[in-house]
Amino acid sequence: MYSIMEDPQTSCGCFECIVAILPETNGVMIVNREFQGMTPIGMTFSTMAGEVGGGVQVPGFLGVGRMYLVSEKFISAEGGLQRVVWMPQELKDEMLDRLEKRFEEMGQPDLLAKIATEKDAVSVDELVEFLQKVDHPALAMASVLG
Amino acid sequence: MAKLTGIGIYKLLPKTNCGECNVPTCMAFAMQVAAKKVALEACPYVSEDAKRELAESAAPPMRTVTLGAGPRAVQLGGETVLFRHEEKFHHPTALAIRIKDTDDVAAEINSIHHMKFIRSGKSVNVELIALEQAGDAGSFLAAAKLIRESTELPAVLMTSDLPALTGALEVLAERRPLVYAADKSNFQQLAQLSAKFKVPLAVKGETLEELADLTTKIKQIGVGDLVLAPAIGRVGEGLTCLTQLRRLALEKNFRPLGYPVMVLTTAQDAVEEALQAIIYECKYASIVVMRGKQAWQLLPVLTARFNIFTDPQVPNAVEAKVYKVGEPSPDSPVLVTTNFALTYFTVEGEVENSKVPAYITAVETGGLGVLNSYADDKLTGETIAKAIKASGILTQVRHKKLIIPGLVAVLKGELEDEAGCEVVVGPEEAAGISNFLRTEWKSQVGG
Repeated sequence: MYSIMEDPQTSCGCFECIVAILPETNGVMIVNREFQGMTPIGMTFSTMAGEVGGGVQVPGFLGVGRMYLVSEKFISAEGGLQRVVWMPQELKDEMLDRLEKRFEEMGQPDLLAKIATEKDAVSVDELVEFLQKVDHPALAMASVLG
Repeated sequence: MAKLTGIGIYKLLPKTNCGECNVPTCMAFAMQVAAKKVALEACPYVSEDAKRELAESAAPPMRTVTLGAGPRAVQLGGETVLFRHEEKFHHPTALAIRIKDTDDVAAEINSIHHMKFIRSGKSVNVELIALEQAGDAGSFLAAAKLIRESTELPAVLMTSDLPALTGALEVLAERRPLVYAADKSNFQQLAQLSAKFKVPLAVKGETLEELADLTTKIKQIGVGDLVLAPAIGRVGEGLTCLTQLRRLALEKNFRPLGYPVMVLTTAQDAVEEALQAIIYECKYASIVVMRGKQAWQLLPVLTARFNIFTDPQVPNAVEAKVYKVGEPSPDSPVLVTTNFALTYFTVEGEVENSKVPAYITAVETGGLGVLNSYADDKLTGETIAKAIKASGILTQVRHKKLIIPGLVAVLKGELEDEAGCEVVVGPEEAAGISNFLRTEWKSQVGG
């Protein structure tokens, strides 16, 4: 239930966000339904939704609600919120208060700024460059592929 | 069953995100491959190792092995589920009757040929002859020749005597018999022989570890069509063993045990032997070898198998045509029903009970019952009229009347228009047919 890699939970297709792993960054990205642009994984929300909806288990992908993002249990098996390397600006803005509070609880208030948005990077290469510049902790975590 | 995930495929890719496959990232490409939307070959840089690994993991978890040749060939294994309701079972347990080369082989074969029963309109029978060596190589060879000449049933050659086996294979190899069985002491010779004659090989092992070890070694010698013959003591142990084998093959995708399994009955008592056979049909033998060959023993074994291996996804249907019950005359009634097997056989049984010879027209409804096919627009005035006209049945009777099931009385008017004949509404339930034919029908035709 709290892992994105091992027996991830299924969803019907009505999720607000998709969490997807980006092996190149050793982290995960989040995209909300409203964001229509391209994402670093090379798929738009709707393309990914087609792959992960319909009640199938797809390791590496999760369809979730926004509130789950700031839960203590958010992909806790893979290290939680520290894994998040990218999300659209719009989602970041809307979740700002909650994310700040959660990072505060985690004792890592600087992490929020280290999460890239489409303004920092769209392709995965740009993203890796950005993450190295800000020294994102996901780069140094255990391999997300296990 | 181990499923190929996007992540699993991603690990095999070059991870360069070059985009030459027209997908921006390797991860996105892997997802497309997993969804079977593009082929792995669309990646120009994928390694041969990756291709092989992918092909292997896409291969079915249990091998399908074919015994015999021609119309009586038997397929074993290839199963994909532990429980029938998950999908279906693909290949029914093949039943083998064990005979000795010192028996009257011709007579035995003849009696096996007679073990045929009709269940729900389908013929069920024994598929294999297991020839056990009791005499010398000469007598085994003579028996193999008899099998070749007098039956098309595939054989199981039960001997580990190399000269006898070689002789029999020279006679029977092109009919793809199963060689029984290689064990840890003789597997090299038997595997070489099987490879040479291109026939499947059964492998005996005391433990699952030993079996897995032997199949791996035999595969290296060049025999891929294997059948597992685990050592089985009591029935309970046998069930445990066969269940473990099936789970290892399907759930763990453990290739060295991904083969069909065969079991020999051990009970001396004839009833107990039939029970054993049925238990192993349920879980999970692809071949059961029995000594007993009495019709009363085989009928329940074959009937149980028929039930277990019915495809739950396909409604049981009978051929859509006109059936005769008894010796119908031009004054005999013509009943209409659907081609759902349970419906048809219930109707047929009741017509037989009435002792009134009759025609029964089973309309093609895709194997649905009366109300289902009516709701699905498969049993309508039009479809019935079509079936009636195609069969020409009304030209064979003087009365020009059709009897339809009472549940679809509403079709009477439409059918009379379409078929141009009189329609009599029969009883709502088959239980009423017998009485209906004996009283109401008689008064209809003035008999």
